Amino acid sequence: MRKAQRLIVIGTALALATAVAACGSGGGKIGSGTTVHGKPIRGGTVTIAEVGVAPNLVFPLLPATNSNGYNTDLTEGSWPFLVYIGDGAKSSVNPQESLFSKMTWSNNDSTVTIVLKSWKWSDGVPVTSRDFTFMFNLLKYNYNNWLGYVPGLFPVDVKQVLTPNSHTVVLDLTRSYNPEFYTDDVLSTIMLLPQHVWDRTSQTGPVGNYDETAKGATAVYNFLQTAGKNLSTIATNPLWQVVDGPWKISAFNSSGYYAWVPNKNYSGPDKPYLSEVEWTPFTDDTAEMDTLRSGTSLDLAQVPANDLKQLPELEAEGYDSFEVPTPGAAQILPNFWPAGSATPAGPLVRQLYIRQALEDLINRPQLVSKVFDGYADPGNGPVPVIYGQQWDSPLEKAGGPYPYSPAKADTLLKDHGWKVVPNGISTCTRPGSGPSDCGAGIAAGQPLQFQLLYATGTASFDQQNAAIQSSEDAGGIHITLKGEPFDTLVATTGTCNQQSHTLGACDWQLQQFGYIPYSSLPSGAGNFNTDAIGNYGGYSSPEMDTLINDTEYSSSSSAFFRYEDYTAQQLPWLWIPLQAGVFVYKKNLAGITPTDPFQATLNPESWYYVKSGS
Amino acid sequence: MTWYLVRRVGQAIVVLVGVMILTFILIHAEPGSTARAILGLKATPARIALFNRIYGLDKPLYQQFLTYMNNIVHGNFGTSYQFQQPVSTLMAQRLPRDAVLLGMATVLALIIGIPTGIYQALRHNMVIDDVLAGTWFTLYSAPDFMEALLLIALVCVQFHWLQPDFPGDITSVGGLLADWRALILPVVVLSINTVAGFSQYARSSAIQELASDYIRVTRAKGLPERLVVARHVLRNSLLPIVTILGLTLPDIVGGAIIAEAIFNFPGMGLLFWQAALAHDFPILLGTTLVVGVAAVVGNLLADIAYGVLDPRIRYANA
Repeated sequence: MRKAQRLIVIGTALALATAVAACGSGGGKIGSGTTVHGKPIRGGTVTIAEVGVAPNLVFPLLPATNSNGYNTDLTEGSWPFLVYIGDGAKSSVNPQESLFSKMTWSNNDSTVTIVLKSWKWSDGVPVTSRDFTFMFNLLKYNYNNWLGYVPGLFPVDVKQVLTPNSHTVVLDLTRSYNPEFYTDDVLSTIMLLPQHVWDRTSQTGPVGNYDETAKGATAVYNFLQTAGKNLSTIATNPLWQVVDGPWKISAFNSSGYYAWVPNKNYSGPDKPYLSEVEWTPFTDDTAEMDTLRSGTSLDLAQVPANDLKQLPELEAEGYDSFEVPTPGAAQILPNFWPAGSATPAGPLVRQLYIRQALEDLINRPQLVSKVFDGYADPGNGPVPVIYGQQWDSPLEKAGGPYPYSPAKADTLLKDHGWKVVPNGISTCTRPGSGPSDCGAGIAAGQPLQFQLLYATGTASFDQQNAAIQSSEDAGGIHITLKGEPFDTLVATTGTCNQQSHTLGACDWQLQQFGYIPYSSLPSGAGNFNTDAIGNYGGYSSPEMDTLINDTEYSSSSSAFFRYEDYTAQQLPWLWIPLQAGVFVYKKNLAGITPTDPFQATLNPESWYYVKSGS
Repeated sequence: MTWYLVRRVGQAIVVLVGVMILTFILIHAEPGSTARAILGLKATPARIALFNRIYGLDKPLYQQFLTYMNNIVHGNFGTSYQFQQPVSTLMAQRLPRDAVLLGMATVLALIIGIPTGIYQALRHNMVIDDVLAGTWFTLYSAPDFMEALLLIALVCVQFHWLQPDFPGDITSVGGLLADWRALILPVVVLSINTVAGFSQYARSSAIQELASDYIRVTRAKGLPERLVVARHVLRNSLLPIVTILGLTLPDIVGGAIIAEAIFNFPGMGLLFWQAALAHDFPILLGTTLVVGVAAVVGNLLADIAYGVLDPRIRYANA
């Protein structure tokens, strides 16, 4: 099952430090990571380790105030998304697993016609377009209380929904979209819901068409969210036993343990081989690693980043391993509008040449090899390149615009009037805004120094930032490090831009908290466009806005590369390597790989045990 | 005694209200946005406003406090921001398990510590006394996470004798006891650090008792040494232990965060830790209150036990 939703929700170093991502194609550097050949055995239980937060809601439309992304892990096996992203090792729509048989765009890409497959719910009732409108109505009247709502997108961008027959849905949208963007990033976040069971306002009340009015839809939505929060009935409430996915929830407890059994009436192509999948919670990495090393009950788990050197021991305990790229981009955020500093850093980072010098001094290949033991994307730009997917532009594949080059950084700074003092404090000697001056707002004698605020708790972050500090210092840019727990960092820093850069929330200069996860299409929407909620440092460029809009609204295939290369060059963020995940699984377990690397997929319906020696 | 108890309960209520006020102020003085800490980096202003409205964080602080106190009086500890569950439910799931784990560790420490301390007193200034004292202090000064990891490496990883973690599907006390093998290591690790305290208190107290006139008298009267120790020295040496036991109650209720993390035992300690990181005020306030009550009750029980063990103590005249 796909975990990207969780990543979107958590979206941070927290996820990186715990159990991010899932299975993917073998990296080739470790273990075999290959599918075990042999005769599949029907039955068997797979136990999967999950580190960190436990699910706390079974209703798949999460309320806006419930940011526990693990809930999607719990529900996706039962109510899969309309569009299933991930086709083997390819990050593309999987036509077999998706709930639609045909999707047609018309009216200048402002109308999409979706033909649903003739699937059935687990109680034998056909899946119909009414199940789509039920879901749509719930969201239409309650989108402000839906965690998946992105301002301006589904459902507010839908003018009307037509259902010409029981298996066809026509979405009349308010504007033209890039079909690829809308399919991959919007329709892949919604699911069908069983109207014939869930359209009610109480557990014992009758099923009706309550969703068709605002009042009724809100009552149904509130009822389902409230019922879904009752942890003691998640595995027993008949509501949650009507599913269209391959799995039903068979056990659940409040500590985070849950189990799936196959939906015997699953209409999809991959009928599960396994008789049960158990998700067992761990309080932290140490407990998980001890359990793995003791060779007990875990069949699949992510190896904590700090324990990768113990892979040989795990393989001796009967595990195989594979590497999983993390679907996102790691970064150091420059704050273009820091508040309250005696020597403001805003004017410094607003100079592209200074951002370039900062990037030139980050030795990314060394970070990959020394800090991440080789398990990381090099961070050449906004799109990770180790996936080998269709999104990688030639510029990024060639190493990106800023390979490590202290000499180039030195030249850039000197050409702009800086007295460069390696391992000291460089100062501006030519203030002014001319092409060879330091730049607007930078005074004579202003030191070239920054404070890097970063999230503690992950040893590799400490090492990485110490290495960056060292290489920047050697190039004449002085960095001081300040670590804070991730939650504290999130709580005390805000999105800073020209309109809002209040003292307190915006007194940071550079920030590193982990990475930004991507949806299926790794566009910059929400991160780099002016005033976007994820544009924490307040970067603003009309050209960037246009390029991002092109990726969302235009069907041009070259639009994405134009956006990607421009972003890589403009450095709204400083690019740094993104650590990959490494997973281990029992050697007699097969069917796990390959999986879609960009969606971080766990799909146990395709897993099976093989007879040893077969 | 009754008047004494009434007075102590009255004091306890004042102390608890004071603790609540102080905790409430300190928690809310923490910098940063609670909504943002819970909802994450991409929380929109609308989502933050909704969160604040739902949890009453948009109201003045005094109003929040009064609402909270009113809810407490009615047995409502609030709802956790991050777990989205009633705090009372979360504590009810964890507290009994912690009580079992830490209670067993305390009992084990007592079983080992008191006899050892008495034995050391009887062998005062002999080699065995120094060896035992050195051993306990060495274990006491070693960090418990290190002891836990070493034991796991040896017992679980090297020899595969025991499992290093509590299975995730166990939540009840019954299930915990049924899977008793998983309790062995955490109980041992938690007791290691407390044995030193119990044994050394018992030792010094017993040394004092052994030097008392009444012990000399009993010996002079020909009472066998075994009975001298069992009937007189042991009972009187227990008084300081009772004080320590009373002070241990809040520890039992408050959990043991390191052992909980290492042995995959989600208890009160981890709950508090996660809440502290995530600005989850209802949990912080709820656990603080419970630990505060345990501290007051523990002290009260110790005082009462003193009176029972030592008839010379008359609280009625206090």
